[in-house]
Amino acid sequence: MTNEGSKLNKIGNKLLYFVVSTLVIMAFPVILTIQMGGKLLKKDLLVFKNKEGEGKVRKFIIDKWLGETYTAQNNRVFVYFLFPALGSFLLFVALPFFQGLWFSLTDWNGLNTGRESFIGFENYRTIITDYAFMYSFFRTVIYSVLNIIVINVVAFSMALLVTQKLKGKNIYRAGFFMPNLIGGLVLGYIWQFIFNKAFVEFGGALDPSILINGDTALIGLIVVVTWQYAGYIMMIYIAAIQNIPQDLVEASKIDGANMFQRLKAITLPLVAQAFTVALFLTLVTSFKQFDTVTSLTQGGPATQLPAWIGSIYDKDLLPVVQSTNLIALNIYSEAFDNYEMGIGQAKAIVFFVVLLTFSLIQVYYNKRREVEM
Amino acid sequence: MKKLLLAVVAIALVFTLSACKEDETTLVIFQNKVEIDEVLRDYAEAWGEANDVNVEVKSCGGDTCAYGTQILAEFQADEQPDIFVIEGMGGYEIYEDKILDLSGEAWASDTDLEFVVDGTTYGFPVAVEGWGMAYNLDILTAAGVDPADLTSQAAYEDAFEDIATYYAATSGMADYAVVSMAAASGMTWVTGLHNFNGYLSAGLAYTDSSVIDDVNAGIADADRLAEYANWVELLFTWGDEDILLTGGYNEQVGAFANGEAAFLHQGNWTDSSYADSTFEMGYAPHAVMATGNDSIFIGAPSFYVINKDSDSIDEAKLFLNDLSSTDEGHAYMVNDANMVPAFNSVTLVPSTPLSAAVLEWNQAGNAYAWWQNDMPSGFGMDTLGPIYELYAKGVKGVSGGITKTEFIAQLTAEIEDLG
Repeated sequence: MTNEGSKLNKIGNKLLYFVVSTLVIMAFPVILTIQMGGKLLKKDLLVFKNKEGEGKVRKFIIDKWLGETYTAQNNRVFVYFLFPALGSFLLFVALPFFQGLWFSLTDWNGLNTGRESFIGFENYRTIITDYAFMYSFFRTVIYSVLNIIVINVVAFSMALLVTQKLKGKNIYRAGFFMPNLIGGLVLGYIWQFIFNKAFVEFGGALDPSILINGDTALIGLIVVVTWQYAGYIMMIYIAAIQNIPQDLVEASKIDGANMFQRLKAITLPLVAQAFTVALFLTLVTSFKQFDTVTSLTQGGPATQLPAWIGSIYDKDLLPVVQSTNLIALNIYSEAFDNYEMGIGQAKAIVFFVVLLTFSLIQVYYNKRREVEM
Repeated sequence: MKKLLLAVVAIALVFTLSACKEDETTLVIFQNKVEIDEVLRDYAEAWGEANDVNVEVKSCGGDTCAYGTQILAEFQADEQPDIFVIEGMGGYEIYEDKILDLSGEAWASDTDLEFVVDGTTYGFPVAVEGWGMAYNLDILTAAGVDPADLTSQAAYEDAFEDIATYYAATSGMADYAVVSMAAASGMTWVTGLHNFNGYLSAGLAYTDSSVIDDVNAGIADADRLAEYANWVELLFTWGDEDILLTGGYNEQVGAFANGEAAFLHQGNWTDSSYADSTFEMGYAPHAVMATGNDSIFIGAPSFYVINKDSDSIDEAKLFLNDLSSTDEGHAYMVNDANMVPAFNSVTLVPSTPLSAAVLEWNQAGNAYAWWQNDMPSGFGMDTLGPIYELYAKGVKGVSGGITKTEFIAQLTAEIEDLG
């Protein structure tokens, strides 16, 4: 057997272990159920014999978890039934996450799988010196802030509109929601055509196409994503607005409150919960924006690095960067165009930490505004 | 329940076992061009009957099947292919231990495009692809331009001017493009790889890797770069603005296919778009240097290699030799698979126009090499491509663009960063 062959064998073995362990974990409750003949509990099932309680803690553990008592057996069965969910969580979320952490510390390039070597924090050092990544981050933050504001304002306005007494409001709801059913990639191509071919016919600011300038391309992206996503967020607001108790609204009307007073004093505080959810969703999807920008602009158009970022990295000649190369796109091309899986993974970890921080802060502040009823 | 499970497992086992049965005289070809799967199958079957070998063709490629991943599984599954495909140096490095030395094979003397590492031949060129300035002969003739003269930047400039004058003088041709060139974000493979390859190989012998070696070592040749930048400027100046700044592949090739562009900066893979094109076309060289450009860029994108651990090495070698030397092999490559064979003994001419032109240039020995894939991955498309886009804006006077001096400075800086 050659070297390569045994290496390939190793990969195969890993795969086999993975599949078998998945199957075992998945099959466990099934086997259990079959064995029990459909009953939840069978006497003496998997009993840990010879366990006796001495001392309070030990007695508690044995009575509740390890012994022959009804409670203990029942509790154990609950644990067994956790296995599929827990197993899939471990296999598909926890394990890849920690594997990713490990890969971010290696020189893995996708081809040297199994032979990658540990290089400490070298990848993270590379990221810090990477002006293009810094620029991507900066653009992503700008995009996200604008996008969150625009989507939520549009979505909330639409929600207010279609919760009024309005003829055919169900049609409007369905209509506003419809773009969300179109895939982001398709949408990007369609709007690319609209911006490049249709809008330029109007002339003025729309000619030449807004997609050839970095800042207007970002606005174009926000327009497309809002068009797609606002309908979805609108649904969340509609649900919240419909949950506002009508007696409050009626009481305020009797008190002579006008529409804006009602909006300010009743609607906004009572849909604060929906704001938490909607802001969280838009924050996360904005930061992770990938499909639409891939097809709409492919990361472009090109532009020169802003002078202030250039000065941080001590660049006399400002390098050329891609102006809508949002962070997810940057990570993707690092990993799959440059075959720098390790660096890509490290970028993804940095991204994860930042996104986690932002969303925790956002949820914390939004929660404080929620009203208990 | 138990019985059902048992039955399912048993059936699965039977299938797996029967699939594992191996025939000793089998020759397995695992290749990545799904579009030629059927014709290759037919050819291989006929060849197998004549030579008493059971040839099995497996194809994996396109959007639905990742060849690189699948081949690992094929090796792993103990149904190892005897002939498989690598796409140059990257693939060679992965499968180095698996690839048989093919030095001294008869077909190697019939081609200049075999895959060679350190003087040892490893790969059989599957097909040839090439690009240059594809031209619409009807427009050129009407404008009084002879494509044979197009060997210098001055000649191109005159030709572009003549064509523009012809457009202006002819009604209905106001929207026609002189050059259909694309430099937008999605087209950086055209600029950063194909166009930049001119800097890497123009005017050099086919195996001369001095410029690419310098680039990879971080050394930029200022004079050569300046000469090359003149050519880029020429292309961008005469390139149609919409196609140049916002166009994609369809717009770029579409304009040429409709007969609305005199020149197209693309390779012979665009042939599938010309089914309805009525004009004659051909290739002229890129005028990367001021004068003396006599070749178009020709290379082999993929190679057949033989598995070192194969049980049917002799059959595999015979298969490749027959493919390159027999009439049946030639007919399969040219007529059935619509490929441009890399072999000089082939006398058949592809029915598709640009492929025929590539074959002609190749057999005349007028080829510059492909070095663009020897740059670090992502360098051409992600690093150089955006610089071209900005320069295109500069040439067209769109805000945010850069000048020729800046263009050269940016290219130089990025090349020097590689060192």
